[in-house]
Amino acid sequence: MRISQHWRGYGFVAPYVIHFLLFVAFPVAFSLVLVFHRWNIIAPMEFVGLGNFYRLARDTLFFRSLGNTLMFLLIHIPLQIVVALFFAELLNRRLHGRGFFRAAFFLPVIVSGVVVTILWQRLFSFDSGLLNRLLIALGLGKVGWLVDPDLAMPSIALMATWKNVGLYIVLFLVGLQSVPSHLYEAAELEGASAWQKFRHITLPMINPTVFLVVVLSTIGGFSLFIEPYILTGGGPLNRTLSAVLYIYKEGFFFYHMGYAATLGFFFALVIMLVVVLQKRVVERNVTL
Amino acid sequence: MHFGVAGIGGNSGGFHRYPKRISLAVVCGMFLLMTACAPTRQRNPNEIIFWSSNNPYEIEFARIIVAEWNRRHPQSPVRYQPVPEGQSSEEVILAAVVGRTTPDVYANMWQGDVEAFARAGVLVPLDTLPGFLDVMYQRCDSSVIQEATSQDGHIYQVPWKINPIMMLYNVRLFQAIGMERPPATYSEFLSAAEKMKADTDGDGYVDRWIGYLNVNVTWWKRLFDFYPLYLAASHGAPLVQGERVVFNNRAARRVFRFLRKLYAGNYLPRDPMEGRQDPFLTGQVATQFTGPWAVSYLEKFKPEGFQYQFAPVPVPDDHQGPIFTYGDPKNIVIFNTSPNPRLAWKFVRFMIEKENDRRFLEMTDQLPRRKNLFRDPYFQTYFRNNPRMIPFARQARYVRGTDGCPVLKEVFDAISQQFEAGVIYGVVPVEVALEMAARRVRLIL
Amino acid sequence: MARKVILYLVLLVGIVVFTYPFFWMLMASLAPEKEIESLVLIPSQVSLNSYRQVVEKIPIFRAFCNSLLVSGAVTAGVLVFGSMVGYALSRLRFRGRNLIFYILLFTMTLPFQITLIPQYILMVKLGWVDTYLALIAPYMMNAFGIIMFRQFFLSIPQDLIDAARIDGCGDLQILFRILWPNSIPALVTVGIITFMNSWNEVLWPLIVIRVEKLMTMPQLIALFAVGGRAEAQLGVKLAAATMLALPIVLAYLFFQRYFIESMATSGLKE
Repeated sequence: MRISQHWRGYGFVAPYVIHFLLFVAFPVAFSLVLVFHRWNIIAPMEFVGLGNFYRLARDTLFFRSLGNTLMFLLIHIPLQIVVALFFAELLNRRLHGRGFFRAAFFLPVIVSGVVVTILWQRLFSFDSGLLNRLLIALGLGKVGWLVDPDLAMPSIALMATWKNVGLYIVLFLVGLQSVPSHLYEAAELEGASAWQKFRHITLPMINPTVFLVVVLSTIGGFSLFIEPYILTGGGPLNRTLSAVLYIYKEGFFFYHMGYAATLGFFFALVIMLVVVLQKRVVERNVTL
Repeated sequence: MHFGVAGIGGNSGGFHRYPKRISLAVVCGMFLLMTACAPTRQRNPNEIIFWSSNNPYEIEFARIIVAEWNRRHPQSPVRYQPVPEGQSSEEVILAAVVGRTTPDVYANMWQGDVEAFARAGVLVPLDTLPGFLDVMYQRCDSSVIQEATSQDGHIYQVPWKINPIMMLYNVRLFQAIGMERPPATYSEFLSAAEKMKADTDGDGYVDRWIGYLNVNVTWWKRLFDFYPLYLAASHGAPLVQGERVVFNNRAARRVFRFLRKLYAGNYLPRDPMEGRQDPFLTGQVATQFTGPWAVSYLEKFKPEGFQYQFAPVPVPDDHQGPIFTYGDPKNIVIFNTSPNPRLAWKFVRFMIEKENDRRFLEMTDQLPRRKNLFRDPYFQTYFRNNPRMIPFARQARYVRGTDGCPVLKEVFDAISQQFEAGVIYGVVPVEVALEMAARRVRLIL
Repeated sequence: MARKVILYLVLLVGIVVFTYPFFWMLMASLAPEKEIESLVLIPSQVSLNSYRQVVEKIPIFRAFCNSLLVSGAVTAGVLVFGSMVGYALSRLRFRGRNLIFYILLFTMTLPFQITLIPQYILMVKLGWVDTYLALIAPYMMNAFGIIMFRQFFLSIPQDLIDAARIDGCGDLQILFRILWPNSIPALVTVGIITFMNSWNEVLWPLIVIRVEKLMTMPQLIALFAVGGRAEAQLGVKLAAATMLALPIVLAYLFFQRYFIESMATSGLKE
């Protein structure tokens, strides 16, 4: 007797369903409970109504951390796209050792963020960091990469770009290679310059890749944590305090579980909103 | 499409039942995993579980006294382990509290953590145990007892050891600028700072400073710069009293102003000197606020000809009387998971006997928190053999621990945030910075 | 010709920018402590002192084994369970199949920030804090893997499965003996992505593991970098970072094509 396909299907998806209920559905539901409570784990939970939201609304530090995260994205994403497109465009030409170049650019992508951050801590060091030594050797002044409050977040964005850009070079390469060559040939016949070809053929054709890169780096940027955790601890003047780092501190430095859950809940809403908005823009631009 | 299905066709018969069986097994497996945890421990009421700090000297000390206890009391043995290495011993203890796997006796709890644990109801109120108060009165003077008393009037901790924070300085560097003794007041410190500031390699950037404060905002960093200076300037005043914020006062303003001047004059570096060689050892900074643990570190790493001394932290110019500092107290607590608190107390009492305090001092170079430690002839041999520890022993009479406040970490966090703005970067006036810190604390209290 | 030269020059500058820091890190970790602050290329002498100190100060080999165990178990789980669910979603018809598919799509858009705190509390309640389970169980399945497998299985001809079924194969045999050997690219992609993500994850271990002997390698080294145990010795941190980078870089040197392609597809699929 064969067991019906229904039951076999249920059997196969059962592990996932359990996993989903336990590690996704329950936490989401429980976060709805937590946001109304004050709780430090060791003492009993205490109902505080909308107290957490009230505190959130007045928590300038949290909004500073949101602003910092947005600031990071605003620097990181354009920089990433420009650099990645630049190198992808170079690699898309006829040349020897393309695989080698691609592999070298990709190296920082695979290495743990912890390694990259410890390494860049040395590069950024004000006193004897490699970057400032280079600047001095070039006869320029030192830069307070992580010390200057206005520069610290851009420095972290620079580092993140260095780490991730290899992946986006590869994505753009895939996109560039999908552009049919006859389009370029036609343009050449009409005497288009290299820039015109790039502007009017390449860019529209790889539009989907651009937006993919935007969405991917947005999601990645919203989870910024280990870089400021190791490099700056959120300073100077809280200018590199990312939203996740702030949630982490509230939750695991001070054990405000209810409040940290409220922050996480609110932050997740912000993320979803941003991603939905981006998707809207994507769809409109692609159909245009 | 053909390929080697034959290989597996041979043993048909009942394969179709696998999925169900497997999924059942998976479900059961996960269920078992979930229920198998949080095992209920059967505890022998005549046995004591004891955790110590995990620094090697304290481990050795714990090992010896446990062996001795077990020799004397074979019927109620102590099972001992160092607190598991972790992110911080506080986090490990918290995880243990949550999992209800706390030891009976824990001897290394930072005094500032006790109030929060006491509020959560996981500590035994020791004053309810017979003989506890007598031991306390014998060991501590009234200010220490007051410090150890919780807001509910009970005492949940035995004051055990301290490591007073003092000013470590590089003797040669001060001689080089013509000073035979270290700066004692704010103006002396400032004028020494001016002379100490130098660009030794001529690249146009200052690379020798009077000192370095950790510029990281992590709350506990302020225990080693702002707080000792505040205690010194205020003759040991608290930061918070019950539900009241009291740190927004003249002493705090003076400390903030003093340090702010140092940063404004570029006498202290703003560069986080992490991820580089120790600037004190390389002679790039002349002073450091630190505790006796620095001695063994310096002895291990100091370059040839390096000379260092300890002195009290600087005070305002018109300061009168003794100079207080922060003592970084670590205390002993008994968790209420203990099946037999009286027995646990008996062990604690044994651990802090005079003889064991001396042993502790000799083995760890940390000071037991008992009154008249330095004047007591019983401990004199040690100090004769370890003259490096004498400044700390003298200082031990004038140390403060922490206020009994369940959200003490946030108090320090709030101060630290404003310390950065008002002192290190000087972008907010000192008065405003302290008022903002006070406001944030009031919001939390 | 000149343009070609410029092109290669620019690419070479790119190579230097992306790889020289790693080279410098390796050299600095081998240099005597005093030379690090002025090191540019090669130290005057090779010293293993920094590495010796790392090994003395932190249980790094233990952490390496922990990482290997955790990432291995997570990867195995994702491959086995992911392909099972992917198989059911692509090849079995049952009521609620679409619902599950929608749930999958939903979880992929759900930001982890919302579940971070409650998931930690779940670990507390289950008593999993400071156990391997906390590191493994929540990651044993993920929507990305399932969807990858579903898509890939859909592209495998139905004839193959029908033939096996006629020969009396059950679903599990079809999955593991027929579909798996024909899905190497999907297995490699999902395997590499899962393993790498797990290997490099650091926020979750920081939250659920407090005891040093259970820490994963990136966690242990991140804490080492921010804590005081390096005793302000520069080379020690760099040596620890080098040790953390080494296994993945070695794997990458041999399988770089798979790494790049896997990560590119994972990007394109989302």
